[in-house]
Amino acid sequence: MVRPALPLVFAILFLPAIHAADLNPKILQMESARLETIRKVSPSVVAVVTGGGSGVLISPDGYALTNFHVVAGQSPTLKCGLADGILYDAILVGLDKIGDVALIKLLPKDDKKPFPFAALGDSDKVQVGDQSIAMGNPFMLATDFTPTVTFGLVSGVHRYQYPERGMFEYTDCIQIDTSINPGNSGGPLFNMRGELIGINGRGSFDKRARINSGVGYAISINQIKNFMGHLRSGMLVDHASLGAVVSSGFEESSFSKVMISGMIDSDASRRGLKIDDQVLFFAGRPTGSVNQFKNVLGLFPKGWRVPLTFKREQENGSSERREILVRLMGYEKQDLNNPNAEAKPVPVPMPKGPNQPKVQNPKAPSGPAAKFYEAKAGYANYHFNKQERDRLLASIGKNGDFKALAGNWQLQATGRIGDKGRQSIVVLRVTPKGAKDGKNDLAQGIFDGIDFAVEPLAVEQSGKTMKDPPGSGGLLVAFFQLRQLLVYGEKGFVGDFSHGGMEPYYLPTPDGEKPNYTASRMDAEVLRTSLGGVNSKWYFNPKDYQLLGCEVSTDRDDDPCEIHFSDYRKDSQGRMLPGKMVVRYGDKEYLRATIDGWKMEEK
Amino acid sequence: MTGWLAASIGLLAIAWQGDVTGIQLAQEVNPKLVKLFGSGGFKGLPSYGTGVIISQDGYVLTVANHLLESSDLRVHLYDGTRLPARVIAVEPELDVALLKLGTEKSKIEDLPFYDVLAAMKAPLALPGTTIFAFSNQFQIATRDEPMSMMRGNIAAYAKLSGRIGIFEAPYSGNVYVVDAITNNPGAAGGIVTNRKGELLGLIGRELRNEQTDTWINYAVPIQATVDVRLADGSSRKVSIQELVEKKENYKPVTKAQKGSGGGGYHGMVFVPNVVDRTPPYIEEILPKSPAHKAGLLPDDLVVYVDGLPVVSVTMLEEILEKYRPQDKVQLEIRRGDKLQTISLQLEVTPKASPAAGAKP
Repeated sequence: MVRPALPLVFAILFLPAIHAADLNPKILQMESARLETIRKVSPSVVAVVTGGGSGVLISPDGYALTNFHVVAGQSPTLKCGLADGILYDAILVGLDKIGDVALIKLLPKDDKKPFPFAALGDSDKVQVGDQSIAMGNPFMLATDFTPTVTFGLVSGVHRYQYPERGMFEYTDCIQIDTSINPGNSGGPLFNMRGELIGINGRGSFDKRARINSGVGYAISINQIKNFMGHLRSGMLVDHASLGAVVSSGFEESSFSKVMISGMIDSDASRRGLKIDDQVLFFAGRPTGSVNQFKNVLGLFPKGWRVPLTFKREQENGSSERREILVRLMGYEKQDLNNPNAEAKPVPVPMPKGPNQPKVQNPKAPSGPAAKFYEAKAGYANYHFNKQERDRLLASIGKNGDFKALAGNWQLQATGRIGDKGRQSIVVLRVTPKGAKDGKNDLAQGIFDGIDFAVEPLAVEQSGKTMKDPPGSGGLLVAFFQLRQLLVYGEKGFVGDFSHGGMEPYYLPTPDGEKPNYTASRMDAEVLRTSLGGVNSKWYFNPKDYQLLGCEVSTDRDDDPCEIHFSDYRKDSQGRMLPGKMVVRYGDKEYLRATIDGWKMEEK
Repeated sequence: MTGWLAASIGLLAIAWQGDVTGIQLAQEVNPKLVKLFGSGGFKGLPSYGTGVIISQDGYVLTVANHLLESSDLRVHLYDGTRLPARVIAVEPELDVALLKLGTEKSKIEDLPFYDVLAAMKAPLALPGTTIFAFSNQFQIATRDEPMSMMRGNIAAYAKLSGRIGIFEAPYSGNVYVVDAITNNPGAAGGIVTNRKGELLGLIGRELRNEQTDTWINYAVPIQATVDVRLADGSSRKVSIQELVEKKENYKPVTKAQKGSGGGGYHGMVFVPNVVDRTPPYIEEILPKSPAHKAGLLPDDLVVYVDGLPVVSVTMLEEILEKYRPQDKVQLEIRRGDKLQTISLQLEVTPKASPAAGAKP
């Protein structure tokens, strides 16, 4: 046993007792500030009774965050307790399995009374040595749901922790010595101002038991913010991969580099990234190590576009530096950066607390929350996708009603095609049932005097024609799809018609300027559609719900046709119509034009 | 008990004056530490650890553990620079080793460092003192990523009585017992500081308390000294100070063999012990010996003895020396590509076979 040695005995005998009144006022101040913070945030802490974990409310209408591993294997209808001692019904909304995040929604007992909720902080501002407060229901201790509070230090930031069985990859996470134990999973980590900076969920355990080892990890709230739009629209969110294998270049060299060591056919390869390129910046952050690279990659959902800067050594000894905008591909099927090479201590999710209620059939939704659930492949809860989608459609609808305009459509514009230095006339036209057989719709166009025509829904239409005019990536088809969306809405699409969460949207670079992806980026709400083998993403400005642009993809292995609309004006019927358009395909601009007129006829 | 508590709160209050914030402290301390990579990676022994730079030309203190049994010892500095390191001196009685960064030819200068000799002149920290621990536990950081930082208090200053597996911890002097979970894998060789960032001690190994079987979180004070009873019956005082001052000229003590079992008869003859770390390959198995009965074969490589990794013939013989006839020994051997576990029961050395178990 540890025997106290002499100095301890002396310490006890000879040090005068000091009373609280003698304490430094600074300590007393900090203490009372801490108590005040805890009082403020306690009501927002959730005990996720189903699943035996914790959570935190983030909106007055009851949205709350927890871990995926808390709700995994449970029914989508959940029971959650708050510090007010009341047990609430809740429903699963969205899931991010790899990031170990779940969004749930508590149902109010009284519709008029808003839920208490935590303000989201900025986890990029958290520093090593900061103090932090973790709250939750470890070991399911509190039967009245009063949260347990632990207080400690931020031990590390921007930490990378390897995935476990392809899930629970904690990228860019916050490491804490703040005690977290089984049952704390999914609970909030607060800074000393009471702002939510992370969701606690994992620890490093190794030889010791799966309880606090002084090394806990919280998913950074900034990462969750990127996924929030997807989570709120009920998705099973996939993480991103680059389409390239990166490795720590020259492990033997004194400084580490991130090198591209493998490529597959992907957007990154189409943008020009090659093997042996050195990745310098990814999404604006320097990438000096593979961990740093993976930290950045883990921040984004599949399909997001982020800038990447690479350096390429030339044969003549010089080097080229280039910035590209990469469309990230999915993670789940293409786990390219699977780091099985080195045996590292893999932190494991905090086990769930004991005494979980036993439900006969845990999978089946039941109770009052069941009416907010709809199962569909690819979704955690399709009900919420429909809800978000319909809200988006209603907002879009305020900018103009096109439902009656099911006749011929024509757009005329004047502008620059490709790198031709002169102004050309462009006409886009859709004629319903205008094909030779009199059944199929026809999309036509005149580009600088050359005619093109395509039947967008004809089965025998060749892939090449679908991309007409050449160099546009499929502008005729895109115009057809746009009319389809505006006139018919959901009825115009036989495949996917869903809310696609939030994505960054990059405004076209002004003529003669260099791209600036920080300045040109904005957040956009996405609608996803699918018709006739064509998948499209429609980007809406969440402020005025105007269509910023779209990506229309006639070929999943190629770049989409991108159209950007701007300069919106009201027409005589009060409909908002764009006065300018920019069309891009791959790395090139196809068209930059002023729209001279829209002609939309009724049937 | 009340007095104790009041005393520690008082200390906290006193220590608060002239304090730096946790954030400043992290930024100040981190550049003085190195991430250490060496041998290990099996049987719960991590291949990574921590060290503290104690001179601008790259002397580093760390714990004298298995990590150093590597011909390819490397460090990552705070800025991501990767450097080789070599062992200069080891004092097992203090469980401390002194390393030097770089090769013998390379010149290293201007590293941020702790003036460890100055730190030794400070009085010992009292129980109740708030401490900060810095280490690369769990190898969370590589290259330029900073160390993990934790906060706790010194719970006691007490004699260490721990064990690693079945073996006693090498150091048995006084340690700071801390109330934070500092002694995680890879934390050994990290440091404990006070609120001002002053160096108090080196984080020790992952040890269990001999009596309660619970994990101990402790740090060896930088002022540590131990009286060692030597083979000739005299005693000698060893200290980290002496190790740091003498560096290359430091001579570790040879202790009186404690608890020697005199060894038992096993019947394994090892390859000639020609280099420092001759791997313990079996050259010959004596007929009818315990090794023969257990099925050991020539060319088997002994990797573990009762869970303890062995890297050399010398080390293996030293370990076997502690056993007595009739003791059971579990060997983990490598035969071809596979690891196998073989148990054998030692016997009394038969008079007829003088070579049995004998050292060359």
